[in-house]
Amino acid sequence: MKILKKAKDNTFLIVVVAAYILMFILKPDMGVTSIKNSAYYIKEMLMIMPVIFVLTALLDTWIAKEKITKYLGKESKVKGIILSFVLGSISAGPIYAAFPMCVMLHKKGASVRNLVIILSSWAVIKVPMLLNEAKFLGIKFMAIRWVLTVIAIVVFSWITSKIVKDEDIVQKEEKASGLTLNRESCMGCTLCTKNYPEIFGMQGKKAYIKSFDSEIDKERLNQTILACPVSAIRYNE
Amino acid sequence: MDIFTVAMWIGTIIFLLISLKKDKTKTVKALKMAFGMGKGMLGSILSIIFLIGLILTILPPEYIAEFVGNQSLVIATVGSAAFGTITLIPAFIAFPLVGTLVDAGVSVVPSVAFLTTLTMVGVVTFPLEKREFGLKFTATRNGLSFLFAIIIAMVMGVIV
Repeated sequence: MKILKKAKDNTFLIVVVAAYILMFILKPDMGVTSIKNSAYYIKEMLMIMPVIFVLTALLDTWIAKEKITKYLGKESKVKGIILSFVLGSISAGPIYAAFPMCVMLHKKGASVRNLVIILSSWAVIKVPMLLNEAKFLGIKFMAIRWVLTVIAIVVFSWITSKIVKDEDIVQKEEKASGLTLNRESCMGCTLCTKNYPEIFGMQGKKAYIKSFDSEIDKERLNQTILACPVSAIRYNE
Repeated sequence: MDIFTVAMWIGTIIFLLISLKKDKTKTVKALKMAFGMGKGMLGSILSIIFLIGLILTILPPEYIAEFVGNQSLVIATVGSAAFGTITLIPAFIAFPLVGTLVDAGVSVVPSVAFLTTLTMVGVVTFPLEKREFGLKFTATRNGLSFLFAIIIAMVMGVIV
């Protein structure tokens, strides 16, 4: 069972490995070229990801939720939009480098709209990239594309915020606090959200663990765990 | 390393030192958290990287350029936008490539579509993005980015 679950979590990895094995059997030289092509990206990742993870964790530790909510939350309006553009543009690395940072920001109250702006500008509006573009395609070309891209991001981030709600974004299990909820066995009775609404909420027809800053009331949590009819909630200290 | 990457390293190291001075236990906890995050994402990132390597071998960017150069405008635009979504190509390959395309007389529209989807929309990063943010967010963001990449390209075709 454990192996099966592991395989399910890593389907993508398995597919890629299988593709490589197939390629090495059929066309070994192309397999070698593929690995060589990957080398550049490995280097890029090693240069940026360690610093991203450390920075994300440090920001998570030191910046209060209220601050993020104030500057990047729903009420931040134009200021939040500008800040998001700046954050995305000055950061380095490929788009996936923005993922851990954005997950953390969302957990601390950044709005869906600002999330989209950070991710998109992280991907397209990079200062070194713009310089490169001006060099090969001309300053006029670069400037027009930059202006159009910014407008496009402003528009589609707004559309995204109308379609995607906060609850649609995956809430990660709080591993640090040792509290987990097995959503596969949850049958959506809503008992936990009634017993402990500060921690549990409903997402679709199933319960999830909200991000919470307050200390856990162990007595109350214990009662909630016992009340769950399918024992989907676990807590290890 | 470009200057922004260097700046990020320096900034983070300073931040880390201040954090250590202020509260050691908290900092150690944060570093553990960073390590956990890295471990959690490593498999997915490696899959993405090796998949890009594979795609670049089967579909070299030069082929894409050739294809785009020989098609009618509409097919070239949609085609190059679609190619752009599949892979992530570093800017130092993409820009010269598109530069030669434009110099060779290929219309601006497909070139711009290619450039924009190249970085903003990711089929290879889709599984990871989905795991981090959920299907609805990922599908909406990538879908809209693709649509707007084509709109940007068309507007640029009119202006330039």
